[in-house]
Amino acid sequence: MSLVDGSLWLTQQYNRLSLKRRRTLMGYVFITPFILGFVFWFLVPAVVAAYLTLQRWNLISPPRFVGMYNFNRMLNDPLLLQSLKVTVLFSAISVPLGLVFAFFLASLINNKFRGIAVFRTIYFLPSIVPAVANAILWAWLFNTEFGLINFVIRALGGPKIGWLQDPNWVMVAFVILTVWGVGGSMIIFLAGLQGIPKIYYEAAEIDGAGRWQRLLNVTLPMMSPIIFFNLVIGFINSFQIFVSALLITNGGPQNSTLFLVLYIYRTAFGSQKMGYAAVLSWLLFAILMILSFFVFRYIGSRVYYENPDE
Amino acid sequence: MSVSRREFLKLAGSSAGALAMLSRMGALPPVLAQDATTITFGGWGGVAEDEGVKAAIEVFQAENPDVNVVWQHTPSASEYSRVTLTNIAAGTAPDTSFIRSDDYTTLAAGGVLQDITDLVKNDSLLGQENYFIEPQESNRCEVNGRWYGIGSTWVAHHIYYNAELFDEAGITPPGFQDDEIWEWDEFLAICNQLTKDSNGRHPDDAGFDREDIVQWAVDWATSWWMPLAAAVHSNGGEFINEEGLCALDSPEAMEAMQRLADLVHVHHVAPRGASIESLGMNNTQMINAGRLAMGVDGSWALSWMNPSLLDVQMGTGALPKMVKPASLMQAHFHSILSSTQHPEAAWRWLRFLATPFYQEHFAKIGLWIPNQSSMLTEEGLKGWVREGIHPENYSQFATDYLPKHGVAGYLPPGWIEARNDFITPAFEALTNGEQAADVFPNAVRQANEVLMFARDDM
Repeated sequence: MSLVDGSLWLTQQYNRLSLKRRRTLMGYVFITPFILGFVFWFLVPAVVAAYLTLQRWNLISPPRFVGMYNFNRMLNDPLLLQSLKVTVLFSAISVPLGLVFAFFLASLINNKFRGIAVFRTIYFLPSIVPAVANAILWAWLFNTEFGLINFVIRALGGPKIGWLQDPNWVMVAFVILTVWGVGGSMIIFLAGLQGIPKIYYEAAEIDGAGRWQRLLNVTLPMMSPIIFFNLVIGFINSFQIFVSALLITNGGPQNSTLFLVLYIYRTAFGSQKMGYAAVLSWLLFAILMILSFFVFRYIGSRVYYENPDE
Repeated sequence: MSVSRREFLKLAGSSAGALAMLSRMGALPPVLAQDATTITFGGWGGVAEDEGVKAAIEVFQAENPDVNVVWQHTPSASEYSRVTLTNIAAGTAPDTSFIRSDDYTTLAAGGVLQDITDLVKNDSLLGQENYFIEPQESNRCEVNGRWYGIGSTWVAHHIYYNAELFDEAGITPPGFQDDEIWEWDEFLAICNQLTKDSNGRHPDDAGFDREDIVQWAVDWATSWWMPLAAAVHSNGGEFINEEGLCALDSPEAMEAMQRLADLVHVHHVAPRGASIESLGMNNTQMINAGRLAMGVDGSWALSWMNPSLLDVQMGTGALPKMVKPASLMQAHFHSILSSTQHPEAAWRWLRFLATPFYQEHFAKIGLWIPNQSSMLTEEGLKGWVREGIHPENYSQFATDYLPKHGVAGYLPPGWIEARNDFITPAFEALTNGEQAADVFPNAVRQANEVLMFARDDM
């Protein structure tokens, strides 16, 4: 059967189906890219990683079964503790700060005046700078001897800060460069702000509510689902910080930016311990699951949905 | 011309079929190179390396028309390591490859690299006594007494200096001959003279402002192993000892490393954060701008820090000695992977890479220093020493200094993990001003646990 005959045959078969079946079939065809991506880039790797947790594999010789060895190693690993510490610290600082900053920017650009589109673009642009370019850019800005940031600080009479060399400052540097890229959350906040019907503000104003009261009693409740969404995504993203850490500091100085994903990567492809790296990957998964659970349970319950049934 | 839908489909179908036929034909051996064996060669590097390998392949193929070498190039060396590991795991490793010196023993002990001991020893050229500079070549190539690769070249640290700043201060710069190498205290005194704040004061003058230094004496990185190891060996210590364990916790080693850190933190004659990567203005630019008198850097840097590319008069000399002169030598290896289906062709290619043609190509541009004795004779030097690239005394570095004082670096299995997790953080602590004696005992103990585990695991 030639290609032409084949496609004709397929068309005939398709035309014979009932409308309902055709729609179902088409539905599957449309979600195939997602399904394939899910299977090959998530499901298969996750299953393989689960298998590897019980193996020792250095990529060179075949994997061999070692039982709970990799899990026991986890209990006595100073670097794992260190990586969890810096990851949680980073997350705890950068996520709330990022939310506040994004919300603040969104409120600023939620105004109508000439040239507002330009401002919106300017604030959004950083979030579409490719991660690698972003990392290189900040590595230059933070350079101790010749970086622009230290240049300004010193011009104002401040000290020379070892942004990327001093373990006490490097976390601040990472928070700054992360918060700089909040354009994505900002746009989501902006969409939310614009979706709040004007009548609520008008009603509040008639009741005598000031700016602050309008923010507390109208804006924040109406925005709570969006704040919540940005919070969850923010936590997940912050736990997965990798590219900037790999490129700017590679975990240093003194492991003070050894974020969990970077440690997993190094364990797998530097130390060639695929089994242990698989255990750490599942640990990350478990942490994010548990964290999401608590966030949904204790914060999600406070979210106000205007139409809860929809 | 209008085409009906059916005609269009027919046309598309038949052209797809024709394409499929063509691509199948492409998979057959090309008619021109009759029965040529194709082998792959993996490696990394910038434009210079890429061009050099391509040129070598051309010459090799002209001499060996029955072998096709396909060059698989990755720009970054660390990226290449990971690519190779995943290729090994997937069963698609290249036939021959660059192997990083830090991966070499791990891969050799893991059975990934082919044992080429007998091929080297029985070879009419490479097997000749002292074909390579010895004992350094054997020291790096042997893993449990067997060879799994041949060193590509040698690179080692030395001083690059701005001759005009030396003239100005009336100081004779260092050279490579034994009587031109400074003692450590002499070096410190000279560093003091060559460092100036904006008022022209030196670090030991009253009123010296260390926040306002306009000219530094030296830049000697403490953030990675090569420049540190040179000092450690010079002070009578060892980087890796005979048992294959890290020995940076010995008093000699810690003293040497502390001396380098003190250049920044105590003597104020070296800039902070002075690794090549972390400076916005690198050592070359600083030397060229007259802001740095001496840069300690690898010999490869001569390919961009040379007389023809710098605006100032420059020169090269040996590192100052603590107990004895020393510099650490290393470089990547060329190896055959044991999974190759064409060991004979692979060996011919590997052998070619260890002959003068290939090394000359890189030595001429200042990137490499030969590891073959024949290239260090008067006649041999003519093949690669170039005016404008190599300062006048440079050939002495290759012919006298390195064979006498060069220490071949050896990195044991498990080194990558030990380094990433414990040794590099210790270097960073040292760079940040912590005392070597406070940091290294603990770091080395932890690193050696990893190394012992890796050794027992082989």
